Amino acid sequence: MSSSITRRGSILSGIGYYALALMATAFFAFPIVWMTLSSLKSDADISAYPPRWVFAPTLESYRKLFTELNAMDALINSAFIVCLATLFAMIAGTLAAYGLARFDVKNKNFIAFEVLSIRMLPPMVSVIPLFIIAKQLGIFDTPWLLIAVYTLNGLPFVVWVMRVFIQEIPQSIEEAALIDGCSRFECFWRVTLPLLLPGLAATMVIIFMFAWNEFLLASILTSSEARTLPVIAASSIKAKAISWGLGSAAGVLMSLPIVVLVLLMQKYLVRGLTLGAVKG
Amino acid sequence: MTVSLEGLPVATDRAKRAGERYTGMILLAPTMIIMTVVGLFPLLHSLYMSLTGYRPSDPDKFQGFVGLANYADAVSDAQFLHSILLTLLFTVLSVGLSLTLAVLLALLFNVRLPGFTLLRTIIIVPMLITPIAVGITWRIMMMPDLGVLNYVLSLVGIPPQPWAGEKASAMASMLLVDVWQWTPFMFLIIFAGLSALPKSPFEAAAIDGASPIQTFFMVTLPMLKPVIVIASLLRIVDAIRTYDTVYIITRGGPDFATDLLSIYLARVNFRFFSLGYGAALSWLTLLIILAVVLIFVKYTGFMRMVNEKEAR
Repeated sequence: MSSSITRRGSILSGIGYYALALMATAFFAFPIVWMTLSSLKSDADISAYPPRWVFAPTLESYRKLFTELNAMDALINSAFIVCLATLFAMIAGTLAAYGLARFDVKNKNFIAFEVLSIRMLPPMVSVIPLFIIAKQLGIFDTPWLLIAVYTLNGLPFVVWVMRVFIQEIPQSIEEAALIDGCSRFECFWRVTLPLLLPGLAATMVIIFMFAWNEFLLASILTSSEARTLPVIAASSIKAKAISWGLGSAAGVLMSLPIVVLVLLMQKYLVRGLTLGAVKG
Repeated sequence: MTVSLEGLPVATDRAKRAGERYTGMILLAPTMIIMTVVGLFPLLHSLYMSLTGYRPSDPDKFQGFVGLANYADAVSDAQFLHSILLTLLFTVLSVGLSLTLAVLLALLFNVRLPGFTLLRTIIIVPMLITPIAVGITWRIMMMPDLGVLNYVLSLVGIPPQPWAGEKASAMASMLLVDVWQWTPFMFLIIFAGLSALPKSPFEAAAIDGASPIQTFFMVTLPMLKPVIVIASLLRIVDAIRTYDTVYIITRGGPDFATDLLSIYLARVNFRFFSLGYGAALSWLTLLIILAVVLIFVKYTGFMRMVNEKEAR
């Protein structure tokens, strides 16, 4: 008798948990669903009230995105800039992290903290000088300027996270390889690097995401040639009163790669996002 | 175990003997060069500019060295002080609300019923969406006359809201957007922390007859503290710099109700072109961020936690 009461109680609380979890999921998922629906609506459907849930989907907004806003150029710019910046930050940052983790370096903690302080810097402080310097050097509105800036922005994450990952690999493994006659480089390349791959992949995805989503610096340091996706997406707002379809389509287009990429790497995400402090 | 403990000094000694004395420095060199050229140099340039009256749009004005005049002006700039207070309020409320929500969500999902893993993955997605896209989407949804939010409210009999269109509700609307986007980030980290907690303290609490609420405040929360501190610190630093969503939805309006620091700074620099003054304001902003971080770090014992981690 009493067991059937507790069973009924646990079924009821189970239903309660599901109801709460579904409500929370609906709250967080709804705007994304709405963005996707809006991107597939025609202009008439988008400005209809009450809002239409069922409509004939059209790719018109996406077509306009590529014809009117030059989304293809922006897509290529974004991909080129973000891939190179991520690559540079990964190489420089991992080397630095290896140096900090394995070698005697003077003022080690000071350097590590200095690297982290970049993370706190408001972009507004350095964007005007960068603008002026870039104009003088003739690299304003070229991809190289943004590549340099995004490399810098990614560095603190790479150094901090990779340092934690490298410290976790027992030094004795490397020593064994050194004794067996490997050079330092071989030892890093053949022994340490393969063990670091999950950490490298997670860090890479995170700094890729930061650079891909960045808007403020990109909007000021480019004008027409090197514009990235967030910049042209923001320009869809200014152009006409009703370009919501265009804005939504741009939103879906630029968010999709990150969502796919990150969800694939979900397992290592927490570790990277917390600078290695929390295990996921 | 003993091998890896002894390994540290031995490795350094051998590194020295093998002529690897400078290898560490060489490995750090690319990072240091990038940091100096792209990071430090513009920073010093900006510091110098903050001491001048540089304003390219106004060639009649004195453009040279003015000492600390810009900083003196900033202290009595009512608009700047308004932005500081607004930004601090926004940061405290946004981080506080998303932290509370995230802890509740983490507790809920820790029940681990079938299907919860999928729902958890869906909840994480907002933090991955480009902030500009978040701004566009919420602006569409918050349109007072055509927006879907007011439509949903009308279905349950609530009158339409002005959302970001009116002074009284604009700040709350921006908080809603920020909490929506960043609660998933807090949730992801806190859930991971919660999953990694040892079981025995909870068993002990159950044996001692602690109520679920007692268990939460006496056992769960203290053990989660390090994770909460790290997640909050990362969020605080980013919330103070919030720009993209506000730029898309309100541009600081209506009537400066959402005029956060970064929005005001952008206006001084790119609309008024008071670059000298703008640089001074940027430096003051940087100092405010540093102060907030230091206070937070001191108050929560963050450095002690980091040092303990390093020592282990």
